[in-house]
Amino acid sequence: MPREAEPSLNERAFVVQALQEGLRIDGRALDQFRELDLKFGDQYGVADLTLGKTRIFAKVSAEVTTPYTDRPFDGIFTITTELSPMASPSFEVNRPTETEIMLSRLLEKTVRRSNALDTESLCLVSGQKCWSIRVDLHVLSHDGNLIDASCLAVVAALRHFRKPDTSIEGETLTIYTPAEREPVPLSWLHSPLCVTFSFFGEEADIVVMDANLLEEQLRVTSFTISFNKHGEICQGAKLGGTTVEAMTLIKCANDALDKVKELTTWLDLKLVEDSKRRDKGGLMAELSAENER
Amino acid sequence: MTVNTEPQALISHLPKADGSATFSYAGYTVVGAVNGPIEVQRRDELPEEAAVDVIVRPAAGVGGTRERHLESLIQSTLRQIILVNNFPRTLIQVILQIIVAPENEYVNAKITQASSNLPILPALLQTAILSLLSSTLPLTATLTSTALAIVPDQGGSNIVLNPTAREVEQSQSFHVFAFTSHNELILAESEGSFTMKEWDDVYARAYSQCCPPALSSDNDDAMIDDQRSAGSDLRHFTRSTMEQKIVSDLYWK
Repeated sequence: MPREAEPSLNERAFVVQALQEGLRIDGRALDQFRELDLKFGDQYGVADLTLGKTRIFAKVSAEVTTPYTDRPFDGIFTITTELSPMASPSFEVNRPTETEIMLSRLLEKTVRRSNALDTESLCLVSGQKCWSIRVDLHVLSHDGNLIDASCLAVVAALRHFRKPDTSIEGETLTIYTPAEREPVPLSWLHSPLCVTFSFFGEEADIVVMDANLLEEQLRVTSFTISFNKHGEICQGAKLGGTTVEAMTLIKCANDALDKVKELTTWLDLKLVEDSKRRDKGGLMAELSAENER
Repeated sequence: MTVNTEPQALISHLPKADGSATFSYAGYTVVGAVNGPIEVQRRDELPEEAAVDVIVRPAAGVGGTRERHLESLIQSTLRQIILVNNFPRTLIQVILQIIVAPENEYVNAKITQASSNLPILPALLQTAILSLLSSTLPLTATLTSTALAIVPDQGGSNIVLNPTAREVEQSQSFHVFAFTSHNELILAESEGSFTMKEWDDVYARAYSQCCPPALSSDNDDAMIDDQRSAGSDLRHFTRSTMEQKIVSDLYWK
């Protein structure tokens, strides 16, 4: 398979020198994100996120299975990421690259291990039946900052998703099809989002948010931190590369929190917009068989 | 869920791939990308022609035997129309990502085995063609593809064009046809039980759908309108989509 083309020496020098002068090649400020856009599909749990030229498609699906024997009260929640040659010919099918492993690892830490989805609520009959929620993440085009974009897409898709309604009467468990009963949302606890910082320069003193692919290829190191809007750190990862001053990282964390709050508000707004679009004639509340908590 | 009856397409929208297209029709949406001609792995290399590699990826779940089957069908079809002899010892990679497939509201779907099979084939083929056109690889012809089902209807049976998920489930047999732009049959796949007579009827219907008479003569208008009402004319759709694309690309001239 062809290798990803590396930036030439001229390009390298130009981008790095511009950054030292506080300029980015696409004219953004150092802490500015590219244009974000999010579209939900007609079906529940489908999110299509565009961040500049990066495009991510996430789909959530649910099915009933038996829980793991060591965790009889928990449902199953998995996130699958696979980079196809659609994003770049250098990605091969069934042979994960380092980018892909890093991406799935970070998403796992951010969304799954921070207990964003209450897995106990997925249990139907303890030890026998539970929901298995699966998120499939497809990278349609890769132009840098896959991690932040993917995390946002996964969270958006999961919050948009509705699973089929169920009821238990005595010993019998009934799962209703979408035609019988309006599906119900997942029990979602908080929305963790990632922000990635890229560092440039000998001392790693230039900090850049939302790097594009070219900048990602040239950075000396990167740092990904995940927050929810309440300011709780879900995960932090700085994997190798040049050492960074502790004070810089603290400053990054503060900036990340502001960004996460901004992104969360934006996401809430998008979800409200979509529910309004679906709720034609205001009949959604009547269709729902869910109890108020 | 509303199903769009008019086909829609978006051409060359992915920045990295050599050619790309999104195609939605009859409830299906597929994103396709084409990379090629690119370097080929030693073991796949063909000395006299380009190797065509098709990858079909379901929206949810991992691809299994059904996807491999679809891949082999599409691969053998595309190999016939791409001028593979022009690019010996290279690879032409076609990636088809299913985004939306219509769901049957009366059944709760399983995901362990992704449930895409024959009904999605026309959408995949059409996306592949648009992606190939977008990548400007030389082709001998384009193709149009259609799906038909024979659904039992009050004692008799009825041929349904572009059936819904529920109609496919109830049908006696299901057929997919593809024709080149020279009106030649290039792909015929069927499942279920049917007689030779039924197959002939379905074939005739598919032929009239995929190979409409040219739009040149004016007095045929009534007849064309008749066929239009039965389903969209995909051949003219492909043509007009590409024409629009070329016009917008050459706008600066």
